[in-house]
Amino acid sequence: MDLTDLIITVVKTAVIYIGMIQVVPLMLIVERRGAALIQDRPGPNRVGPFGLFQPIADVIKMMMKEVIIPSQVNKALYLLGPSLVLLPASLVIAALPFGDFFSVFNKPYLLQVANIDVGILYVLAIGSLGIYGILFGGWASNNKFSLMGAMRATSQIISYEIPLGLAACSAVLWYGSFSLREMVVTQEGTLWGVIPNWGVFCQPLGFLLFFIAAFAETNRLPFDLPETEAELVAGFHTEYGPMDFGTFFMAEYMNMATMSGLMVAMYFGGWHLPWIADATLLQWLGSRNILAILQVVTVVTKMAFFMVVYVWVRWTIPRFRFDQLMRLAWKNLIPLGLFNIVLTAVILYLKGAA
Amino acid sequence: MREILFVIFSIFTITAASGVLLSKSPVYSAFSLILSFFGLAGLYLLWGSTFMAMIQILIYTGAIVVLFVFVVMLLNLNTEKENPPNLLFWGISAGSVWLLSLILLRVLTRSIPSKLPAVPVDQLRTISKLLFTRYLWPFEVLSLFLLVMIVAIFAITRTGEIPVGGEKS
Amino acid sequence: MEAFLPVGILFILAIIISAGLFTVKRLLGPRNPVPAKLAVYECGVTPESSARIPFQTGFYLIAVLFLLFDVEAAFFFPWALVYKESLAEGPALLIAMLIYMALLVLGLVYIFRKDCLKLN
Repeated sequence: MDLTDLIITVVKTAVIYIGMIQVVPLMLIVERRGAALIQDRPGPNRVGPFGLFQPIADVIKMMMKEVIIPSQVNKALYLLGPSLVLLPASLVIAALPFGDFFSVFNKPYLLQVANIDVGILYVLAIGSLGIYGILFGGWASNNKFSLMGAMRATSQIISYEIPLGLAACSAVLWYGSFSLREMVVTQEGTLWGVIPNWGVFCQPLGFLLFFIAAFAETNRLPFDLPETEAELVAGFHTEYGPMDFGTFFMAEYMNMATMSGLMVAMYFGGWHLPWIADATLLQWLGSRNILAILQVVTVVTKMAFFMVVYVWVRWTIPRFRFDQLMRLAWKNLIPLGLFNIVLTAVILYLKGAA
Repeated sequence: MREILFVIFSIFTITAASGVLLSKSPVYSAFSLILSFFGLAGLYLLWGSTFMAMIQILIYTGAIVVLFVFVVMLLNLNTEKENPPNLLFWGISAGSVWLLSLILLRVLTRSIPSKLPAVPVDQLRTISKLLFTRYLWPFEVLSLFLLVMIVAIFAITRTGEIPVGGEKS
Repeated sequence: MEAFLPVGILFILAIIISAGLFTVKRLLGPRNPVPAKLAVYECGVTPESSARIPFQTGFYLIAVLFLLFDVEAAFFFPWALVYKESLAEGPALLIAMLIYMALLVLGLVYIFRKDCLKLN
């Protein structure tokens, strides 16, 4: 690896990371306007045209507010809490493929931070670390609501990690690879010449499990038990100030984006357009880099769709009760996940035998 | 480059591991344990075993330490209320120290290679294939073992109420 | 190994962003601490007893079960990786996994029958 490679890698990483952070202000406005749309009220529309500058105002407000470090907290862990949530959320995006590759000086560079051969395991492993920020932050706050919220959050996240892992496992089974990039490459073309060869058509049950578990993993409604306002004030971040709240929120939105990216890569064909092969597109467009831009636009559009679904579901489905939540995970999702693995294995066996 | 990283990760792991022993609060110990597991994962990466590194983070950091932290928080361990160590405690400690010293002696007297061995190609598939051919029986026995664990846990805890909030059970 | 170099770069960037957020809030926010403001929040009333209360064993159970199932899942992954290639050599891997999974399902059935998580 020479210096040019290193510079391009650093720039690429920074661009992808900064791009993913931009999800936060975008989602702030989408979520608030979306909520308003569903609840039939105008929503924020005063700051800038159509209220588009609202996120900027929100962020400035958060930054200018007083920093309160309550007297009873365990200071080191309390201060680390938000960062411990943000760091894993930032690191998981490394495995997401945003496109095939672009070329600089006739040298190909992947449209992905890192092509990790154990991509899906990396996402599961690093993604599971987000709970420590919540757990330590909640415990260090030395507040009953925080501790209960942290306990609930952890129980919920670890319970739903199993169906998530099982769904991912059947995807690995289907594609025969851990790498998200290879999964996307496999999804090119069509199934029986009619429908796109996407994971969602080959692994419908797996996608459903992954989709449900993704909501629980990101603490989104209908699974936002950790912060049930009605019972726990604000859950694990009760004792945190505005900017720490902002950091938790940032991590939540980035996790949502990562989950959307995973669903796109594993089940919705990644950068592929339905029915059109990459080679044909390259012929039409004539340039590798224009194709790369088109691929990024495709992935981002698909991700945006899932982000809107997140908002849509949030304001449509009421919150679960905690025992219902646990029952859903252990009694329904985990047996279904195991069943899906067996089903996939048997289908693959029959396909191989035929 | 790999040698430098090896030294960095090793020092990081050892420092974090001593943090586990030296912290006064068990929660801080758990936190140090997470850091030291990360150092270990880094070492696995250096050996080219990405799979082991990820499993290290997934299982040890993501699951086992959660359990530790839960126990610490559930039992609300207070350092001042600790029982004074008895004879059994001292016996076990002395035994472990002796065993550890012997292992260390064995390791240190061996010639230390000046270079790390090369990374094998496609470790991922090799490990997976070996696991389901040569080590198939240990693998199947493992699932029996896990089943026994599930039964044992319920036998030990007995009570299992719906965890709704923080009421005392 | 080389594939993880960009992850290291990402890690450094993430640290910079986290530290930046931390510094910005400290620099911009006013500070005017008074004892009442720094007290533990308990809906306005004076806090009663420590927050470090013992918890139900249910949470502990969930954590242990998660650990066990996580270990199980960890073994599914290498199996899933080589399954497709091994099909040429007959259904040996399928049968191996079916035995493994049968025992796991037995464990799940035990959890439900004993109703230890009070799921019913």
